[in-house]
Amino acid sequence: MTISVKVMQRPEPESTSYLRAALSGMALTFKHMVNPTKVTQQYPEEMTELSPRWRGTHVMEQHADGRPKCVACGLCPTVCPANCIRLVGGEDDQGNRYPIVYEIDEFRCIFCGMCQEVCPVEAIHVGRHFENAEYTRDRFVYDLDRLMEQDHPSTLLWDPSDPSSE
Amino acid sequence: MADMVNVTIDGNEVSVPKGTTILEAAKRVGTEVPHYCYHPGMSSPAMCRLCLVEVEGAPKPMPGCVTTVMDGQVVHTQSDQAIKNRRGVLEFYLVNHPLDCPICDMSGECNLQDYVHAEGREQGRGVEPKRVFGRDDFGGDVLFYGDRCVMCTRCVRFMSEVEQDHRLTVVERGNRSVIDTFFEEGLEGTHWHGNIVDICPVGALVSKDFLHKARAWDLAHTPSICDCSQGCNISLHTRDNLVQRIKPRENLDVNAWWLSDACRMDYEWMNRGDRIEAPLIRSNGGSKVLGWKDALQSILKAAEGSDASVKAVASARASNEDLAAFKRLIKGLGGGEIVYRSPRIEKDIPLKGFPQLAVRRDRAPNTTGANVMGMTRVGDDCATGGLEDIAQHDGIVLVLGDTLEDQPTTFGADAELYVYVGQHESAATASAHFILPATTKAESEGTFTNYEGRVQRFWRALDPPGMARPPWLVLGALAAELGCGEAVRSAEDSFAAMGVDAFAGITYADIGERGTVINEIVHMTGV
Repeated sequence: MTISVKVMQRPEPESTSYLRAALSGMALTFKHMVNPTKVTQQYPEEMTELSPRWRGTHVMEQHADGRPKCVACGLCPTVCPANCIRLVGGEDDQGNRYPIVYEIDEFRCIFCGMCQEVCPVEAIHVGRHFENAEYTRDRFVYDLDRLMEQDHPSTLLWDPSDPSSE
Repeated sequence: MADMVNVTIDGNEVSVPKGTTILEAAKRVGTEVPHYCYHPGMSSPAMCRLCLVEVEGAPKPMPGCVTTVMDGQVVHTQSDQAIKNRRGVLEFYLVNHPLDCPICDMSGECNLQDYVHAEGREQGRGVEPKRVFGRDDFGGDVLFYGDRCVMCTRCVRFMSEVEQDHRLTVVERGNRSVIDTFFEEGLEGTHWHGNIVDICPVGALVSKDFLHKARAWDLAHTPSICDCSQGCNISLHTRDNLVQRIKPRENLDVNAWWLSDACRMDYEWMNRGDRIEAPLIRSNGGSKVLGWKDALQSILKAAEGSDASVKAVASARASNEDLAAFKRLIKGLGGGEIVYRSPRIEKDIPLKGFPQLAVRRDRAPNTTGANVMGMTRVGDDCATGGLEDIAQHDGIVLVLGDTLEDQPTTFGADAELYVYVGQHESAATASAHFILPATTKAESEGTFTNYEGRVQRFWRALDPPGMARPPWLVLGALAAELGCGEAVRSAEDSFAAMGVDAFAGITYADIGERGTVINEIVHMTGV
């Protein structure tokens, strides 16, 4: 196969003006100044509309007396594809099985929401939330207390009035 | 043969001895008929009604666990009628079952869960409230969750037929019937009650020790051998590189399905964290961590040209391969006396319903192996004392595996060369010139010889800490350098290269998972 070479016709530097191209570019820029269709969002004054399928950082549901709903059954660490949940089960003073350690590494989490789907007691949920900034990386490992403190709502994928999606 | 009968089970013809039950015959053709109350080691009351199978010509479904086969019988275990029977029976089981699988320790290995998942209804139809018993402490290691119970009475029959100590019974009748103990005594003081947790097909009887510790599906199972001279076949259930529990492994020649409570609870030593992790050399008051090659070369250099006499302490917890390599090494160093110490209890505690199984007097797994190799037992029944002359020996002192916890810091202080191969440092290792890290039985492959001379293999369940290596590898390499035997690379080769007559001609393939009996048995003197 022969190699073909295309010779480009370059404009002559002396006889070429870029003014026309610059003006047409600026025209587009100025057109946006008066364009009624707004593009820029005034975050954080204006919040983004999240998709109903949004899955953000987790929330642990709790009983009225402040105990976590989790019974340490071990299904979420089993199902988790990112292996980001650490769970150590134990028994509390009333003889209930509960998580002594429950940690979710939100950096490792891929927010698939399978932990919520598999949970037999509707304890762990992915949240409707995206502002997760922290000063240190280790703050992204959420322990049980932190998961219970989260005050953002759970995802719309879960309907509390129909917990098992019937 | 005259006493064989031919039956057809699910279209498969099979010839079984007369008197075989349909359930056992179905096992021959690879069909597991669901059952709860039947256990091969006990009588069959046929009360769970789950093994009902369709027999052609019989007017009603027949319980497979007690119906013996007849010549020309045609049995259907998977016909529509048989499946419908089981579906109905399973629905009755769930009338009062709390379905608390998420918090039940049996979840993942539960027969009720499996059967209902395979053949039960998708949705329950019950609207009535379930009766509630709550939980009861049966004493010993056993907790009873009455709501989960399916009333198969395996536990009651185990205690009355196998252990032959009537501690459990069924009280009340109908759907209020429940397993209970007599008075407050419970199962306390019995030696085999852990087995009722194993044979419970559901989560009604659970181990207090294992309660909420791990989920069944997280555990890796490794075949192993327990730590008394009975040599019970066990399975080490591990997770996170820790042994979480010990379960018996079926071997009709040794322990059938059973395991003593003492052996069942004897696993924490395998999880100890205070291990020797790297070879250590001590000289002029200081100590230095070495690589394996440097460590072995330094030992050879230190031993070179020495004609000092050798005194050695082995351990009856070491495998046959380890002991043989140790013996070869000592032969290479000029030969010397090898002693070992092992704990003993007062007397054997046999399992009455299966008397060839006992909590053996000898509480070390390989005393027979040590005896066969010409090692002498010293010390008392707590595995202490007896090492006075070795402690002050001025020649070469070698220790394999023995923790020497009762020995003073001056142990081996006068020795020309003191090499300690073991798992844990203690006061008595303070004077050791070389400390080499060794694996435990859970971290290496090998064999033990039990009280009757049966060689049985164990497999590696855990990763050894740091640089710990199996003693047969390390000691075998040293011995090979000294001209005794060849250096080996696997436990199998090490077993073949043991050079002990009693084991001659036996290979790992012969031993398999069931074990084989060695050529000659040497019993301890004074037993």
